[in-house]
Amino acid sequence: MRILVVEDEPTLATQLAAALRDADYAVDVAHNGVDAHYLGDDEGKPYDAVILDLGLPQMDGLTVLRKWRASGRTMPVLILTARDNWHEKVAGIDAGADDYLAKPFHMEELLARLRALIRRAGGHASAKLRCGRVVLDTRNSRVSVDGLPLTLTSHEFRVLDYLMHHQGKIVTRSDLIEHIYAQDFDRDSNTVEVFIARLRKKLPPGLIETERGLGYRLVSPQ
Amino acid sequence: MAHLHTRLFGSLRIRLLAGTLLWIVASLVIAGWVLSGMFRHHVEQQFLAELKTHLDQLAANLEFDDKDRPALSSTLSDPRLSKPYSGLYWQIDGIASKQTPAEVGLLRSRSLWDGALTVPVEHSMEGEIHQHRIAGPGGATLGMIERTIFLNETRNQASRALRLVVAADEQLMIAPLERFNSSLWLALGVLGLGLVIAAIFQVAVGLAPLQRLRKALSAVRSSETQQLEGDFPAEIRPLVEEFNSVLVQNTEIVERARTQAGNLAHALKTPLAVLANAAAGENGELARLVSEQVDTARRQVDYHLSRARTAAAVRVPGRHTLFLPTVEGLVRVMRRVHAERQLELVVQPMADKLDFRGEEQDLQEMLGNLLDNACKWAKQRVEIQAILAQEQLVITLDDDGPGIATARRATMIHRGVRADEQVPGSGLGLAIVDDLARLYGGQVDLADSPLGGLRAILKLPSTYSD
Repeated sequence: MRILVVEDEPTLATQLAAALRDADYAVDVAHNGVDAHYLGDDEGKPYDAVILDLGLPQMDGLTVLRKWRASGRTMPVLILTARDNWHEKVAGIDAGADDYLAKPFHMEELLARLRALIRRAGGHASAKLRCGRVVLDTRNSRVSVDGLPLTLTSHEFRVLDYLMHHQGKIVTRSDLIEHIYAQDFDRDSNTVEVFIARLRKKLPPGLIETERGLGYRLVSPQ
Repeated sequence: MAHLHTRLFGSLRIRLLAGTLLWIVASLVIAGWVLSGMFRHHVEQQFLAELKTHLDQLAANLEFDDKDRPALSSTLSDPRLSKPYSGLYWQIDGIASKQTPAEVGLLRSRSLWDGALTVPVEHSMEGEIHQHRIAGPGGATLGMIERTIFLNETRNQASRALRLVVAADEQLMIAPLERFNSSLWLALGVLGLGLVIAAIFQVAVGLAPLQRLRKALSAVRSSETQQLEGDFPAEIRPLVEEFNSVLVQNTEIVERARTQAGNLAHALKTPLAVLANAAAGENGELARLVSEQVDTARRQVDYHLSRARTAAAVRVPGRHTLFLPTVEGLVRVMRRVHAERQLELVVQPMADKLDFRGEEQDLQEMLGNLLDNACKWAKQRVEIQAILAQEQLVITLDDDGPGIATARRATMIHRGVRADEQVPGSGLGLAIVDDLARLYGGQVDLADSPLGGLRAILKLPSTYSD
């Protein structure tokens, strides 16, 4: 899952990025409204969620959000701001935000809300994603098969996480690259195949199908 | 005295009326006095002229008989001279000289009957006419003229002098004067009354724009309008324009204060977030202390910010906020923020025009906190209802959560304690709602909800009427 963090305060931005990376997200950071708008508006590399501060230099957060929504960007956006009066909350939600968190905040709460946003964006009501015998608990990033915990590397988890969120749908290799790597990461499309191969070994057989020339699909065996 | 002074001169109406009244009365009194004086002079002249005519007639008719005794050749023409005590008299006296004693009432008019007029003795030259006021019959005051005729020595009499007197009751002059005066004062009185009525009317018409100004102001105060509206005369228009710009300026000051409060929040809370996150990543005493203090600081900032906001509230007159759009905005927020819970948020049907007399942000703050609490605690359902009762906007929020024990409700509102530390939120919510509601002259109460949980009842002023 690839997350865009928009925060002008450098220390807080660093803390947020670190906490999100710890939670196995790919993270990009923007420090002002113009950069944020540019990054978030790229159709080719959609983010799975955005954490958006409202008080930004160059272009304020609400304007950025409205511009994204006007050009059809639908990724969930969590507003993070110090201005937490209800007037601003209404304005934020009406501009197209999906949730709202006031500073100062507990990082656990931010992560919980972010997970919920991503899950709901994929149409999943429960915090536990299931695919046959495999269960991925979004609350603690743990995967289990038949109730037994499964140990995955960070990148393996990111690939599985993305596939679990998009069950039944065809996920292309470039989709996976976009969503498991941060923007400045040195990408190699072959590594995706390596991660898929490792996951296939660890997971029950037949779970990950290869659609020739298109990509991969996570299917629940009947 | 000072109080009376204030009352008299504190009113433009009384000032204007008093001035006009004084002027009307003074000019009418002077006019009456002058007119009355002129008429009196005229009547007096006429009275004298009449007396003189009689005196001339008397002199012309005066004859002497064989014994040189005076007699009249014919009776004087005026019938009043023959009627006893008619008020018009004549008399001829013989004036005392070396040879003759004074003879009062030598000849006299029939009207004197058997009395005679007592005339002050005075030497006068031939032809001179003297004027006196004397007492007459029946205690009347008479206006009198006299003339002395000197007779030269004749064959049987030494030279002598006769005094011819004509007198008339002054009443004959005063009566028409009084009649004239009374009609004069009556006429002037009617004129004065007419002028006063005209003045009152004029003042009322002249001051009518002030009355309109007062109404326009009270419309601003009761939040029906935000500016003084209506056409005012050129003299008042600058005042109205100044006042309107003060209103605008007030609004700007409040907006600026809100923005400043928001800026302060931003400036403080971001470093607090940094601190909290830094501490959360560490173990140990320092990290625990920082976490704790950051929480306290956050609560303090929230509390004082909300106080700053409430202090800026209500000061701007002329604001009113429609209830329905406000609650709908907040419900949209709740649906998103509490999306996980899949709550049923129900806004009961209400009048579109139902409104709150005050700032939108303040209504959002009160309603948002109550609604947020209801959503946090509700199991499934939250209901919002608003009605107008006794000219107040009465908002009811019900939830089907666990509710709050009656004994704890008052403390919840007034001290702003948290109902439960496990539910996120500052716990200041209810205290802020209470503060704001009181500022607007409203109140917030907690009760049992028919849904099984807590019912919050918020009463606020409204400009709406059915």
